[in-house]
Amino acid sequence: MTGVLGAEWAKIRSVRSSRYGLLAAVAVVLLAALVAWNGARIWDGLPPGERGSLSGAGPMELVAPLLQLGAGVFGVLVVTSEYATGTIRSSLVAVPRRWPVLAAKAAVVAAVSLAAGLVVLAASFAAVRTFIGDRPLPGPTGPPGEEVPVLAATALTVVAAALFGLGSGAVLRSTAGAVAAVAVLLFVLPPFTFLLPEPWGGRMAAVLPSGLAVRIAGAVPDPVLSPPAALAVLAAYAAVPLGAAAVMITRRDA
Amino acid sequence: MIEVKELSKRYGGTSAVDGLSFSVGPGRVTGFLGPNGAGKTTTMRVLLGLDAPTSGEALVDGLRYARIRRPMLRVGALLDAGALHGGRSAFDHLLCLARTNGIGARRVAEVLEQVGLAGVARKRAGGFSLGMKQRLGIAAALLGDPGVLLFDEPVNGLDPDGVRWIRELMRSLAAEGRTVLLSSHLMSEMELTADRLVVIGRGRLICDTTVRDLAARFDRGVLVRSPRAAELAEVLTGAGAAVAPDPSGGLAVTGVDVSVIGDLAARHALPIHEATPRSASLEEAYMELTAGSVEHRAHGSAR
Repeated sequence: MTGVLGAEWAKIRSVRSSRYGLLAAVAVVLLAALVAWNGARIWDGLPPGERGSLSGAGPMELVAPLLQLGAGVFGVLVVTSEYATGTIRSSLVAVPRRWPVLAAKAAVVAAVSLAAGLVVLAASFAAVRTFIGDRPLPGPTGPPGEEVPVLAATALTVVAAALFGLGSGAVLRSTAGAVAAVAVLLFVLPPFTFLLPEPWGGRMAAVLPSGLAVRIAGAVPDPVLSPPAALAVLAAYAAVPLGAAAVMITRRDA
Repeated sequence: MIEVKELSKRYGGTSAVDGLSFSVGPGRVTGFLGPNGAGKTTTMRVLLGLDAPTSGEALVDGLRYARIRRPMLRVGALLDAGALHGGRSAFDHLLCLARTNGIGARRVAEVLEQVGLAGVARKRAGGFSLGMKQRLGIAAALLGDPGVLLFDEPVNGLDPDGVRWIRELMRSLAAEGRTVLLSSHLMSEMELTADRLVVIGRGRLICDTTVRDLAARFDRGVLVRSPRAAELAEVLTGAGAAVAPDPSGGLAVTGVDVSVIGDLAARHALPIHEATPRSASLEEAYMELTAGSVEHRAHGSAR
């Protein structure tokens, strides 16, 4: 198993797209910093009477979906690039029990997306706080004791998105199909929550990945999902497609 | 040692392999021949555990492939040389495979040296020519120094130098006592490389024989020309040969060896101007064997 893990790690390290992914992560931090800086600049330029009218999403609300999307696509590509090039057959011939290949991919994808997620979130957090300072703008301006759990939970949603992508990619064996599945989950379903009649809209919003981080951290009181239940829902986003992939990769002709 | 026993594989409604049995022993190159679509690749995919057989089994050293621990140390295979991530270097491509079976980086460098790719080991494989990709695929098969080797159409698209290199490599691998199964749809290639032939068509075994036996089976007799043909024909018929006039003007003699013909002619002081042993080329033999089992044929073309 350590050999298979090493191989999966070597596969990710040895292609250029991984480096481009890291560059994109740096770009996300810069984007968050830019939005925070711009907000502070506008705030400073307004007459004190109008400052209260400034509202909207904070910079961190931009970071989380970008990270989830990036991690999801990364998870997809780790497996579908092997189907697209045909190298999956060499991989499965080398490890005929097959499930260790999927398990090693999941471990490496989880570790890389957790590390990248934590670094990007921490760096964005620090940059945003620096630019906003003590202005009462939307953003992570609370005491660290309140903000850190949300950041940690957000990092977990990034890992779940990556594993959802990996599982979908292994089931669908198609980059386009699996990326579409990730995009539907992260960006297409959330607007639907506004179209559903209550209480269903609220319930659906609670269980979508976009709403899980704050619920896991216990940052919003929610009668639908307690923090442990929210964590279980998040785990299911990773476990269900991965479980399906584990069954299919061992049963299907490669 | 490879054993294929009553193997059948269906994909949906189409039968790719149908009750196929044969075995491949060590120490020689066995050619696996058949027209396109005959089931060669499917058989190899089942042997390598990629596809599950519908019925029957395919064993390597008496084991089902999926049960082999660290299979690269026992079986090496080249299925599709184009199956590469174009952005990965030759070295990294092999290292990713090697790691899974606990094979080290030193062995990777060794096989790259063996196939003549040491100079481009750090180059991206996407830029490789077809011949270089074939060499890289063969390097991957050799990584674990396995006793059983499977190569699916390894000479496709190679230049004459590459073809000769593969031919010599196959023969030397077999000479080291390994089991080498080499698939191709080209008889001319097998004639020079293989010792044994397993010919299949439409998923069924057509023949399992040696190259020499196949040539003998398609013996077309001896063409003899003599100014005293009538007397010679009489002598030969007396010795038990079948003699018929050949359309080209001489005698077509079957049933006796060319040396017997020469001796008989000398004993009776009959002059001979030509005595040519004729056999169908292996290519023709193969065409004849597989004529009924070609999957896709252009309509209106004589074979």
